Amino acid sequence: MRYNWDWSIYFQRASDGSGTWLHYLFVGLAWTLATALAAWVIALVVGSIVGTLRTTPSKWIVRLGNAYVEIFRNIPLLVQMFLWFFVLPELLPKGLGDAVKQIPPPWGSYLPAVLSLGIYTSVRVAEQVRAGIQSLPRGQRMAGTALGLTLPQNYRFVLLPMAFRIILPPLTSEFLNIIKNSSVALTIGLLELTGRARAMQEFSFKVFEAFAAATVIYLVTNMIVVVLMRALERRVRVPGFIGTTAKAPQAGH
Amino acid sequence: MNSSMIEFRAVSKWYGSFQVLKRCSTRVDKGQVVVVCGPSGSGKSTLIKCVNGLEPFQEGEIIVNAESVGAKGTNLSRLRSKIGMVFQHFELFPHMSVTENLNLAQVKVLGRSREEATTKSMALLKRVGLEAHAKKYPGELSGGQQQRVAIARGLAMDPIAMLFDEPTSALDPEMINEVLDVMVELAQEGMTMMVVTHEMGFARKVAHRVVFMDNGEIVEDAATEEFFGSPRSDRAQLFLSKILQH
Amino acid sequence: MFSGYDFDVIQRSLPYLFRDGMTFTVTLTLLAMTGGIVFGTLLAMMRLSSFAPFSLVAGSYVNLMRSLPLVLVIFWFFFLVPYIGGWIVGAPRPIAVGAFWSAVITFTMFEAAYYCEIMRAGIQSIPRGQVAAGQALGLNYWQTMGHVILPQAFRNMLPVLLTQTIILFQDTSLVYVISATDFLGAAAKIANRDYRLVEMYTFVAAVYFVISFALSALVKRLQSRMAIVQ
Repeated sequence: MRYNWDWSIYFQRASDGSGTWLHYLFVGLAWTLATALAAWVIALVVGSIVGTLRTTPSKWIVRLGNAYVEIFRNIPLLVQMFLWFFVLPELLPKGLGDAVKQIPPPWGSYLPAVLSLGIYTSVRVAEQVRAGIQSLPRGQRMAGTALGLTLPQNYRFVLLPMAFRIILPPLTSEFLNIIKNSSVALTIGLLELTGRARAMQEFSFKVFEAFAAATVIYLVTNMIVVVLMRALERRVRVPGFIGTTAKAPQAGH
Repeated sequence: MNSSMIEFRAVSKWYGSFQVLKRCSTRVDKGQVVVVCGPSGSGKSTLIKCVNGLEPFQEGEIIVNAESVGAKGTNLSRLRSKIGMVFQHFELFPHMSVTENLNLAQVKVLGRSREEATTKSMALLKRVGLEAHAKKYPGELSGGQQQRVAIARGLAMDPIAMLFDEPTSALDPEMINEVLDVMVELAQEGMTMMVVTHEMGFARKVAHRVVFMDNGEIVEDAATEEFFGSPRSDRAQLFLSKILQH
Repeated sequence: MFSGYDFDVIQRSLPYLFRDGMTFTVTLTLLAMTGGIVFGTLLAMMRLSSFAPFSLVAGSYVNLMRSLPLVLVIFWFFFLVPYIGGWIVGAPRPIAVGAFWSAVITFTMFEAAYYCEIMRAGIQSIPRGQVAAGQALGLNYWQTMGHVILPQAFRNMLPVLLTQTIILFQDTSLVYVISATDFLGAAAKIANRDYRLVEMYTFVAAVYFVISFALSALVKRLQSRMAIVQ
């Protein structure tokens, strides 16, 4: 039982004629990163807002935030992607829905992928932000209030700056997750890195070379992100403040 | 009564470059009670944990019941099953009832049947005055009760010697005596015991010898009357004067 | 919004969706959970071993799995398992494994890395004195682990293990990429055959939501009950 390795495959011409297979895979990496980064912007903005709202004193706002989190946490990412890609255009007014369906590839896949991935991850960011704010000593909020800060000012100047520093390490792993999870977009036709490895395998029949290359590219990307985030953590570190990041184990991907 | 049960021969131990035990030599004879005392960080807990191999040491030799603890061929599990140990923080298994705590090693290590083990456990619980709590979980007991269960757990193995590592220092003051009473009774029955403790009253009452440690060294190793009557070293005198003040 | 929504197609396909699809999903989840926790616990014990080769191998495996997208891992195993199977039985060609068993192996191996980290934290949360107490009674490594440490670690980590299993339950939907007929796969087949994508995918989303939400609520209750006991 042998498998005939052929490492020269990377330098042979890819089926789409754009260059070598290696080049083909790196274009995939570019799509992976473009998807992950755009989705990360959504996740960070929406997640921060929802996470913050869930710590406000208003019961109804908290409930609304909780509902948002529960909905998007309890449906698999793949199903959410199908909802954005297949279902949403059908539910829109006919003209708009048709226009959405007319978006040319790869943008027709890219946009729903970014939206679904962003919203899906925003829930996890929201959880982190909430935990970060709640891990701050209660006195901080009171001190802010006692100084006469309004609630938004209190969040903007006192609570959030510390909370974000505390949750930077878990946010790093969420960012790594978003890169990995962007591979789900291949199911709606986005040729990102995993999708292209799969395509390479189908056209060149070089199964393990294709997946090995993708594996290495993911690992190196991971390492680069980790190094960059460590640097960021060092830059924003508050002197004398020992991060009390709860090192509690978490379920997740 | 002069045969040695536990014998330390020039035992040295390092944590990295820091030496915690410095050529320690002493012995516990069969039927004797030896109390080890000294300031915190002096190495006394480390010393007692070397006896049953919970802490490895780099130099010297410890002979327990004619077996060398550090030697390659020594079956540590079997040796440990013959030496009972009581810890500062009790270390009962919180997910098992009191009886199950006593039964576990009897069944798994000594191969006793469950009925045999339970009979033994109940007898020992009665002896430490806790037979009414047999079905409870450790979390439902007071510190003093937990430590008495821990002593019974050690005794259930029919040990040839018992090690006590600061058995009362995690207890509230009002619970210390119930534990010491059990230990005194045990000593009077002739159990071989090595006890790390600050309870000098206990030492005076039942110890045959007192070993005083400081900075990883055995500074003084004397008969009890001699140790309390006229300690030879300044360090032991200083320690005694401090500890006897309260 | 519900004008033109064909509830009938859902009702007609219920037997197929649940008898075939959901059975696949649930069986896969349960098998991968069991295998993943067992293998993950072994990995955790290896990672915590003072024997360097063990901790190195286990650590590398866990980090590798946690660095890769699940979809890529599914592809890897889908193609790799037939080769390894062929190699084991000495067949000249890759053997046929089928989507189900391929998925079981994939998810067991993949989730083990995540369960490993949970169990590792669980083991580390047990005071070191418990190990000493077990050893002092003469229990060997496996007895100390099996009777003293793991039961406590498992108990402490039960809520996190269950939460991870809910994630696993949702993740099994990704077997779509190897065309397996899990719950989503079954729905997708009907959706495409009858061109009823809106109905099928909203229904699938609703079912996943109800199950995951109910399970999470149960875990939360368990967690608060455990908090009281402690």
